[in-house]
Amino acid sequence: MERTERLLDLVALLLDSKHPISWPELREAFKADYGTGSLESCERKFERDKAELLELGIPLTFIKGDDEHEEGYVVDRDAYYLPEVSLSAEELAVLYAAGSAALGSGGFPGSQDLAHALRKIGFFTDGPPPAPKVRLELGGVAETKNLPERLDALWSAITTRKSVTLDYFSPHSKQESHRVVDAYGLALRRGLWSLVGYCHLRKAIRTFHVHRMHRVTVNASKPRSPDYEVPASFSLEEYVATWPWQHRFHEPIDVEVLLTGELAPLAGTLFPSTPTSDERGARVTLRATDLDGLLTYVLSLGAQAKVLGPDRAKARHRELALAVFTAHGGVTS
Amino acid sequence: MTPEGRTDVHERLRRLLFLVPFVSRNQGRSVDEVAKELGIKRDELLEELDLLAFVGRPPFQPDDFVDIYVEDDKVYVDLDQRLSAPPRLTAAAGVALAAAAALLKPGHSDALKSAIEKLEQVLPAHAVKRFREMGKRLDLTLEGPTGLATLSQAIVEHRVVTFDYLTSATAHAERRKVEPIELFSHRGQWYLSGFDVARQSERLFRLDRMGAPDVTGETFAPRATSGRTSLPGVSQSVQKVTVRFEAATAPYIRERFGVEARGLPEGRIEVDVPGDNVRWLTGWVLSFGGAATVTSPDWAIRSVADAAKASLE
Repeated sequence: MERTERLLDLVALLLDSKHPISWPELREAFKADYGTGSLESCERKFERDKAELLELGIPLTFIKGDDEHEEGYVVDRDAYYLPEVSLSAEELAVLYAAGSAALGSGGFPGSQDLAHALRKIGFFTDGPPPAPKVRLELGGVAETKNLPERLDALWSAITTRKSVTLDYFSPHSKQESHRVVDAYGLALRRGLWSLVGYCHLRKAIRTFHVHRMHRVTVNASKPRSPDYEVPASFSLEEYVATWPWQHRFHEPIDVEVLLTGELAPLAGTLFPSTPTSDERGARVTLRATDLDGLLTYVLSLGAQAKVLGPDRAKARHRELALAVFTAHGGVTS
Repeated sequence: MTPEGRTDVHERLRRLLFLVPFVSRNQGRSVDEVAKELGIKRDELLEELDLLAFVGRPPFQPDDFVDIYVEDDKVYVDLDQRLSAPPRLTAAAGVALAAAAALLKPGHSDALKSAIEKLEQVLPAHAVKRFREMGKRLDLTLEGPTGLATLSQAIVEHRVVTFDYLTSATAHAERRKVEPIELFSHRGQWYLSGFDVARQSERLFRLDRMGAPDVTGETFAPRATSGRTSLPGVSQSVQKVTVRFEAATAPYIRERFGVEARGLPEGRIEVDVPGDNVRWLTGWVLSFGGAATVTSPDWAIRSVADAAKASLE
């Protein structure tokens, strides 16, 4: 019997049964699969089937018998069946909008999981799901063709805690290096996906841009046995820069920035810091571990963004602005 | 193996465990409709239906089989063998959905936030811990600006929004009243497409140039829109501006522009960008701190020089 068919039969049998089904009964019911060959090989086959069903969210529980109860396997029907979720029309609509946007982006890890989840939350609703009005286009990079496949492989590695091997291109060295990585997590920042994990080559936790990976392979040996544990203290956001000055290149430096004129009311949007206001505008203080990353961001905002201090940051800001000015034919007096 | 690294059996099983209850609840849907719902091709669906004809529970008497069939190109179930509802969400499916929802930056009291909280109800009890643990492994929560969830809900409910908006053309933020149509993210930047009531036309608004949006009690009837929103700086350029990059920056620019980047001597490269938004152009060139130089046309070179000079004063 084909394995898919056997597993479906098993689910149908257990969902219908009013009493636990013993191992001898299962062997009799599935004679060709669990009833022939050595007992040990039959038990191993059944264990693999149980594990497959558990991954689908269907736990087979063994009930120990006593004087009053038979022993055997059961599926708890309440735990199996999807309950009707009391989502309001608005809740369902925004959830659909978000899920559909992520699926439509063509680059979302666990896209099959997400598609199944969307189907299930809409199962009890009548009529078609609300039309998505949110669209997500990923990628600040030109090459995105293999991104969905890579993301799905990485998500699979993360959920099963299996190591991945990959070739990683560094634009800095312009070379590829072969890495084995214990995949801890994925993060999306400014349209780009990053993998954070323990790099066996560097013997430390490292962050990798997914678009710079080639030949991503998940360790296929012993698929149900994790290769590693994620340290309890691990926090994904500590390793992924959200803003260009958060890359961990240097010792941290606190920089004060003043936003004037039309930028002042947008201070809280333009910077992840609570602004303070005075007669000149809004001031924010940022902790930078990549000073040039912060200063070029400030430059990009134009003349209404000024660096107030410290002196080192002010001098570097001026140096960068001067470099742009002279490169464009400006002559300093 | 599937692209996810899971077995084909796994993917097929969860499809079939959804298919039977779906048809049971939606009797008489066309083959194409059911295939679309499951995200598979028509032929694949027919194959799945063939397999289901052999599925049932021991001892496999005639009434013990799933009775699912196609008649006049419509799909029906007579006996579902207790596959009357799909299994609950797995932890991985719940995490994927919660992560997708996080893209829209749920606030403390909006519909998205309460929807995410309800997700745990549809997980099996044994999967809740894993759902919470895995939720920390997929991080999109910082990706979107605040206001996304508010605007999403306003779109769904056809409610007019108002907000302060800073344009490239005016020196001060202006109050805008907008019928929101669509939110979209392009290269990490979020935009709202909407009908500007004062200007009586469809406009595009960058969310990082927008103050906190207010959802009014005023509703609107959706208008016939112009279709898919034009992306900023992609198709509406009046003139191309050529920008040259130094060798150290070139590999990063190549990643973004791909084959559009042209190689120059000494490892430099150049690209053409739209010149229809001077504010964007000068900000972008300044953000490279001297590693990018506009080489033509002259007005664009002067604009960047003026912007750099203003930053020096």
